[in-house]
Amino acid sequence: MKYVLEIENVSKFFHGLVAIDDLTIRVKPGQIYGIIGPNGAGKTTLFNCVTGIYVPERGSIKYKGENITGMAPHKIAERGILRTFQNIRLFKEMSVAENIMAGTHTKSKQKWYHSIFHTSFYKEDEKIHWKKVEELMEFFGLTKFATTATQDLPYGAQRKVEMARALAADPELLILDEPAAGLNENETIELTEIIRKISQLDIGIMMIEHDMDMVMNLTDYITVINFGKEISQGLPNFVQDDPRVIEAYIGSDDDEDEA
Amino acid sequence: MNKNTIIALTFIIVMAFFPLIADSAWLGIGITFLIFACVAFSQDIILGRAGIFNMGHAIFFGIGAYATAILNVQFGFEIIATIPFAIILPVIAAIVLAGPIIHLRGDYLLVATIGFNIIFEQVLKNNPGDITGGPNGIFGIDVVRVFGYELFSDTAIYYIAFGLLLITLLIIRNLDNSRYGRALFYINKDEIAAKSMGINIPYYKLFAFALGAAIAGAAGSVFAIQYSAVSPESFNFMQSVMFFAIVLVGGSASLPGVLIGTFVMFVLPELFTEFNEARYLIFGAAMVLTMVLRPNGVWPASFGNIPKYLKEKVKGAK
Repeated sequence: MKYVLEIENVSKFFHGLVAIDDLTIRVKPGQIYGIIGPNGAGKTTLFNCVTGIYVPERGSIKYKGENITGMAPHKIAERGILRTFQNIRLFKEMSVAENIMAGTHTKSKQKWYHSIFHTSFYKEDEKIHWKKVEELMEFFGLTKFATTATQDLPYGAQRKVEMARALAADPELLILDEPAAGLNENETIELTEIIRKISQLDIGIMMIEHDMDMVMNLTDYITVINFGKEISQGLPNFVQDDPRVIEAYIGSDDDEDEA
Repeated sequence: MNKNTIIALTFIIVMAFFPLIADSAWLGIGITFLIFACVAFSQDIILGRAGIFNMGHAIFFGIGAYATAILNVQFGFEIIATIPFAIILPVIAAIVLAGPIIHLRGDYLLVATIGFNIIFEQVLKNNPGDITGGPNGIFGIDVVRVFGYELFSDTAIYYIAFGLLLITLLIIRNLDNSRYGRALFYINKDEIAAKSMGINIPYYKLFAFALGAAIAGAAGSVFAIQYSAVSPESFNFMQSVMFFAIVLVGGSASLPGVLIGTFVMFVLPELFTEFNEARYLIFGAAMVLTMVLRPNGVWPASFGNIPKYLKEKVKGAK
């Protein structure tokens, strides 16, 4: 398998306004792919198209060769594309362990009657998935928070819970929407290490991030978009020096305070 | 043993011995409490867990009661034989009625379910095919016969209702610790996050409706047995409002909360009958005050439904 995700000439309009204009992006397994660009460039819209929240008007999106354009979000997640959210969407009143358990939903084989009768199959199934939750809490250093409601956690820990929840589904493509937003410097360094470790599991990662140090340090390949259009793509060093990118960033005055 | 288990056990023991100390008036109140608690718990699956604003729950309760009444009185079925129908027919109704509206947002769905409830009451009153008995309902429902024994005493009916409540509590406990039950909570807390985790939202919402309808239908059957009669007023929109309010006043997805809610809404009014209409003023005011002072209910749910060994481990980590 050459690419885990192929976005081909995708366009998305809102009431006639172009949000994404003819974007083509291909992500390989184990690759960390950065999407950058000023605010309102259409980055999150692109992620919403990939995860099925929006349906693009033109173009196609393929996951491991299968066309997933216009598929319902839960079907896309079932296939192995999992995401985190820019403004953190956890099940706030529920504990960390229960939140991470949500990720195992697509893996669990329990049928409706297992919610009434707890058969031996049910017990085995639960055991496997709680084990998975346990491992992920260890990996992210969240074990001590297992029973804590996620709304009571510090921001950095909440970001980790979201990532752990996505990983619980054994994704092959992980979509991170500004994973470092709101984190302090130490937390960002820690997160960078975590993301690198995840990519070593051969999981493709697509991320939007405004923290340029992190992007340059972490990503293997970058696409820069502005007003929904691709203005540059390439290796981090190339993109960094691309005059079109510099112009887009200097031309807009709101990108700095985002990081 | 956690707090909920202790409360549940205490409650079960008290209720199990209640008929030994109660006179017949109290026993009647006890039966009503048990039946309405089952219905409230079934509404709590739909409203408290899945977060669906179902304002037509009396429909399922009513279909269960009428299924038993009609099959027994009009078609001569034994009461025991009507119970499977009293469970399955409400499930079918839930899927057929809720299917087309399940994608609606909370407030729109609420209005649609009110519409269903009004239609349901009208249908019962208009006596289609001469089977529902019209505005007066159906009288003369038989007693329960099991292996040649006739269970007609209030005590027997009390224990039938008690058995149903135990089954309901067991189902809810199992539900909360299963993939389906958790999916309902995730949907309730954040739909976008839930579907991004692969949860098929309409499917799980319909499951909640079907399960809630099944339990409410069984409770309806016992209700018909208790009064050996059914009439449309018992299943009108106001009843649905009561079931809705019980869950919110008591506390969504909270076992003690729903029990307190049922007690306050159905048992307290019986205790204060000498105050006549004035008691409803107090109840109305109590509902308003609860929502203002305790928006999550009198006894809100607590989360953290995770295996014991994990909890132990957390204590170790801290």
